[in-house]
Amino acid sequence: MPELPELDPIVHGKLRLAVLSLLTSVEEADFIWLRQKTGATDGNLGGQMLKLEEAGYVAMEKRFAGRKPQTVYRMTSAGREALAGYVAALKVLLGAAL
Amino acid sequence: MAEQVRQQIKSGIQGNGSIVMTNSEMNDGTAMDNGTTRADLMQRVALMEEMIAEGRRSTAQYGWLFLLWGLVYFAAVGWGLFLPFAYLAWPICVTVGFVLSIGFGVRQKRTGGSGDLRAHTLRSVWTMMGIVLTLFLVTANVSHHFDGPGCFAAILFFIGLAHATSAMILRWGMQGLVAVIWCAGGVASFFFIRPSEWVVIFLVATFFGQILFGLYAMMLDRQRVAASVQRHA
Repeated sequence: MPELPELDPIVHGKLRLAVLSLLTSVEEADFIWLRQKTGATDGNLGGQMLKLEEAGYVAMEKRFAGRKPQTVYRMTSAGREALAGYVAALKVLLGAAL
Repeated sequence: MAEQVRQQIKSGIQGNGSIVMTNSEMNDGTAMDNGTTRADLMQRVALMEEMIAEGRRSTAQYGWLFLLWGLVYFAAVGWGLFLPFAYLAWPICVTVGFVLSIGFGVRQKRTGGSGDLRAHTLRSVWTMMGIVLTLFLVTANVSHHFDGPGCFAAILFFIGLAHATSAMILRWGMQGLVAVIWCAGGVASFFFIRPSEWVVIFLVATFFGQILFGLYAMMLDRQRVAASVQRHA
């Protein structure tokens, strides 16, 4: 039996996977928008974003929108590759179901 | 569905965010090396699909821009026909339209959250249409060659083209219909060649293709926002 591919544990986390999926279709997204879309709490989302940042999958930038501070994330090329690899692994694991 | 997925995300977060792996077997009886079940993986696929769709859903609301530009066209035509300094009607009305649109864009950028790629594409289409149309009108007027049905038809085709492109990007049949209205106006301009007839064609296209469509789009925007508020309440 062929060896099954491993799933990237960083990508596999539900909230992290949700964030990466959201970021594939936008240029960049601020923290509040990600929180609204995922329904996560500030603390959880902050923690998961830090993990993604440490893995090099997202890049964070702090800036001001008018007078309001804004934390903006964008997906890095490493993040895109990781997600693509994850999808490829899922395809192998699930076979025809996908 | 979206709410279900959000619940899944919440339920999947265990303190540090890692997923609790089970050692149960996959539905078809084969166990995976890492203990993840087939159902887990299917859930991930559904989650990705849902989130990608959420990301693509435009964060912007553009309905009132169509309404605004419809009113700008009406105001310019009305001023040109019934008020003094008719030659100033279009430059002033269009400038006011641009200023309001830019103000709207800046405000939306402040209140919005994401650089939605599709919204960026749509903005690009409409911005370039506006620039090219302005260039066309200014050049035609300055050179005194704004004559004949061809010039008038070109304006309607420009607007129809932008609507058609938007409709294809959004896969939105209603906007496709609006594109047909503008293009039909362009075609009609070649057969009804009196300026008074062009005015009627333009006003009819503006009424259906900008004002009514703008109101319809605003109504959809409101429904979408209301649904979003309910979802997050």
